[in-house]
Amino acid sequence: MKVNFWEILGAWVGAFFVISVMTMLWKDNPYFRFGQQAIIGATIAHMVLFNMKNVINMALIPISKGQLLLIIPFILGLMTYTRLLKDYAWIAKYPTSVLVGVGVGVMIAGTLRGQIIDQVKATVMDVFAATTATDTINGVIIAVGTVTAITFWIFTREHTGALGMSAKIGRVFLMISLGANWAGEEVWYLTQMIGRLIFLIEVFIKGALLGIA
Amino acid sequence: MQGKGPPRSLWERLGEIDYRWLYALSLVLMVIPILRPFGLPTVVSEPTKGYYKAIVDLPPGSVVAVSFGSSLALLDEQEAQFIATWKVYFQHDLKVIFYCTYADSMIILNEELDKIVKPESYGKAYGVDYVRLPYAPLGESGEAAFATNIRGVYPTDIYGTPLDEIPMMKDINDHRGIDLIHFQYTSCTDVEFVIRQWVVPYGKKAIITTLGCCGPMAAPYYPTQIKGFLSGSGMGTELEVLSGNPGPGAVMSDAKNLGILGLLLFLLLGNISYIGKKFGGKG
Repeated sequence: MKVNFWEILGAWVGAFFVISVMTMLWKDNPYFRFGQQAIIGATIAHMVLFNMKNVINMALIPISKGQLLLIIPFILGLMTYTRLLKDYAWIAKYPTSVLVGVGVGVMIAGTLRGQIIDQVKATVMDVFAATTATDTINGVIIAVGTVTAITFWIFTREHTGALGMSAKIGRVFLMISLGANWAGEEVWYLTQMIGRLIFLIEVFIKGALLGIA
Repeated sequence: MQGKGPPRSLWERLGEIDYRWLYALSLVLMVIPILRPFGLPTVVSEPTKGYYKAIVDLPPGSVVAVSFGSSLALLDEQEAQFIATWKVYFQHDLKVIFYCTYADSMIILNEELDKIVKPESYGKAYGVDYVRLPYAPLGESGEAAFATNIRGVYPTDIYGTPLDEIPMMKDINDHRGIDLIHFQYTSCTDVEFVIRQWVVPYGKKAIITTLGCCGPMAAPYYPTQIKGFLSGSGMGTELEVLSGNPGPGAVMSDAKNLGILGLLLFLLLGNISYIGKKFGGKG
């Protein structure tokens, strides 16, 4: 496969920054800090440019073509920047209120049905609709885990007696759940590392250095 | 200069092994399968089977909307998932609307679609079988807006062509024109967007792809509210195997299986040291 100049340059630049980040595994050093700050800077520049382009395409151009209603969100957007001026920072509360209001309005109906009613229904149904012994056991474990984990978060009554016992069991389920989440995080980091190692070996060493990719 | 303290026990010394040795061991273990893949067997899980079935059960010509919110920084975790998925779409003659919800996602979409998936190699034509819509910072409100009025959010495709001039989009205006929503995201709680804005109000069939760490938050919605999910590159590999579309997931899974051993050793030594210090006396 023929590799062009830009791909080789990309491989070198990519390898430079990947290795700079990996040097942190040894210890903090100027090469790592340079790489870290350059990556953060480039990412922010990329995001700013993309969003500026969005404002132009989704607001300024349509407004210039007569979609005058878009002036309202555009002004609301500009108002958020008043946070930077101490005396006028209060103005930023208005667009924030609009955002929060719209956000809550959009999500509330779906939350009640999708995340509370349907979830409770599924938890109960798992037990009664099970067709095999394994499914029944799973259903019971999920139901017990759900109920006891919820009781752990009841803080208006002292955790004694039946509530205390339930909360203790709930804590075990919560710890198992957090452990599963943490394991997922670890494996995710591992994937990122493997992805960069594949890049270094396949793209940089084999492709750019040896030309055998 | 460090003074000569009391002699350290075996447990203390075990807990103070330089972590860099463990990093080095993990790196070596990860590199071996990259240089020489083992092809370890892959077991396909139920959520992956449900995910695949939700796609292949659609009649040819059905429309899939892909809410694509992948990030370049997290590409390694998701690349296998979406490459295999997009290939399955085109193999089963489905029509696809890709819309980008994250700043990087348009770059990834263009690269992966043009250079790896190549819809034209399946006999698919742009504008007739698939459409690419540009980046818009949707969030949950944007997803709700898209479901009710696609043109309100995306008046044009990535080339600036108005949607009305694209043959495939002629009769597709909102959720009624979409048969399956494929929600692809990287922020774990975003799974709620698709539940609240597509599944609950319209009863739309949904599948999701996300990071490995987001799997536990997606699992409670399967199989009642989402038909299947892929979390992490491992489940991407499962889809590659299930659909017969080999891709980047296989090498990744081999390296992950071996690389995790270094981390497990790390955990094991730490726990032995802790328990030993607590219960094992001076050692």
